[in-house]
Amino acid sequence: MDNVCEEEVFSSLFKTNSKTVFNYIYYKFGNEEKAHDAVQEAFVKLWENCAKVSPDKARSYVYTVANNMYLNVIKAEKVRLKYADKSEKTTHESPDYVMEEKEFKDKLDRALDSLPENQRTTFLLNRIDGKKYAEIADLEGVSVKAIEKRMHLALKSLREQIDGI
Amino acid sequence: MKENYLAKWLNNELTEAELAEFEKTAEYATYKKILDVSADLEPPKFDIEKALDDLRNNRPEKEVKVIRLSPMKKVMRLAAAVAAIVAVAYFYINSLDITVTTQYAQQTEVILPDASEIILNAASEISYSEKRWDKDRNVKLEGEAFFKVAKGKRFTVATENGLVTVLGTQFNVENRKDFFEVTCYEGLVSVAYNGTETKLPAGTSFIVINGEIQHPETPNSSVPSWMNNESSFKSIPLAFVLDEFERQFNIEVETKNIDLDQLFTGTFSNTNVNLALQSISTPSHIKFNLEENKVLIYAENAP
Repeated sequence: MDNVCEEEVFSSLFKTNSKTVFNYIYYKFGNEEKAHDAVQEAFVKLWENCAKVSPDKARSYVYTVANNMYLNVIKAEKVRLKYADKSEKTTHESPDYVMEEKEFKDKLDRALDSLPENQRTTFLLNRIDGKKYAEIADLEGVSVKAIEKRMHLALKSLREQIDGI
Repeated sequence: MKENYLAKWLNNELTEAELAEFEKTAEYATYKKILDVSADLEPPKFDIEKALDDLRNNRPEKEVKVIRLSPMKKVMRLAAAVAAIVAVAYFYINSLDITVTTQYAQQTEVILPDASEIILNAASEISYSEKRWDKDRNVKLEGEAFFKVAKGKRFTVATENGLVTVLGTQFNVENRKDFFEVTCYEGLVSVAYNGTETKLPAGTSFIVINGEIQHPETPNSSVPSWMNNESSFKSIPLAFVLDEFERQFNIEVETKNIDLDQLFTGTFSNTNVNLALQSISTPSHIKFNLEENKVLIYAENAP
């Protein structure tokens, strides 16, 4: 049977999951440094316990470690997420349209920043990382129903903020 | 519409009818737009290869460890021993009591961690533990000191003669050879002496001379006289008065043909040695002869 202690198994686990761990912590706290630290911490722990953690449990193991690492971090920190610049697509759109798009995106950014941390994390994991509700539920340790609720509320308050209600 | 329909919609779980209904709502346009724009969001760049390299440097090397086990063990043992010594030394130094001492003819003020104040008279010493202070307000005293205790938990002054405990008050403790006096200036002080406890309300004293409890005299000031650079006595044997004189001026006292048990009532200056000697000698009908660091006190009618 495969063993996490084997370099190849470990590397492939890292390659498939490290970015999600990074994003997950980043969505939560809006802090890149914390997100990088969480990745290192989670996988060092996995390496140290590689004999005890089976490969199919490894994913939820690293999420749990990353999550626990910041359990006691003061939640009050104001989050300001920044998103990487997408390489500018050449558009044939009119300048007005581009302006409008930019404005909408700024509004969305601000609305995302002001969401409760669990709603923002759920929303972005689904929208950006394409994670299924069941996967997010597993990661957050709650039911699928709870994730649906978060998703619903997230969309609702994003819409309300953007439409200025 | 059904519960959490927005989440269902995102997940393509709405029926055609439900979807048609939703698309008719005024909000639909914005929801659709949120979906499109959020799909273009990107988190900060994360370099998986670099992170993996960092990790390889961070994580303990498993295979190598086995080979190096025994030399590593020696180093680890040494490191552990050094760490243990450092830790013990650290805790030892940390747990040492803080001690403040005054010499003859010296006074000093000590501020305790809870802002209680101690003013230390000449030739006295206090010690206390800063580390345990929060749990245990305990001061050891040799000599004499005036205490202004901040309100709080029980505050104890431990002396060889007895224990003085208070909650928050101002009081003076004098603990000299064969002489123990506690005077309360504010609040309430409890004195445990020889197994019995005495409560001292403000304005009362508790005095033990040569093992005998004296009838307390009422202090008529708000602070002990020594804090105003005077030493006051009421019916105190001359021997103790002269001891105090020695401590205040750092001058050795020699006596000749004098009754040291005679009681003295009065005050002497702690700053002017001639005035002080006069204050002591006149009411007691004795004479003195002051040399540099020494004074001879003798009976008036002696040769």
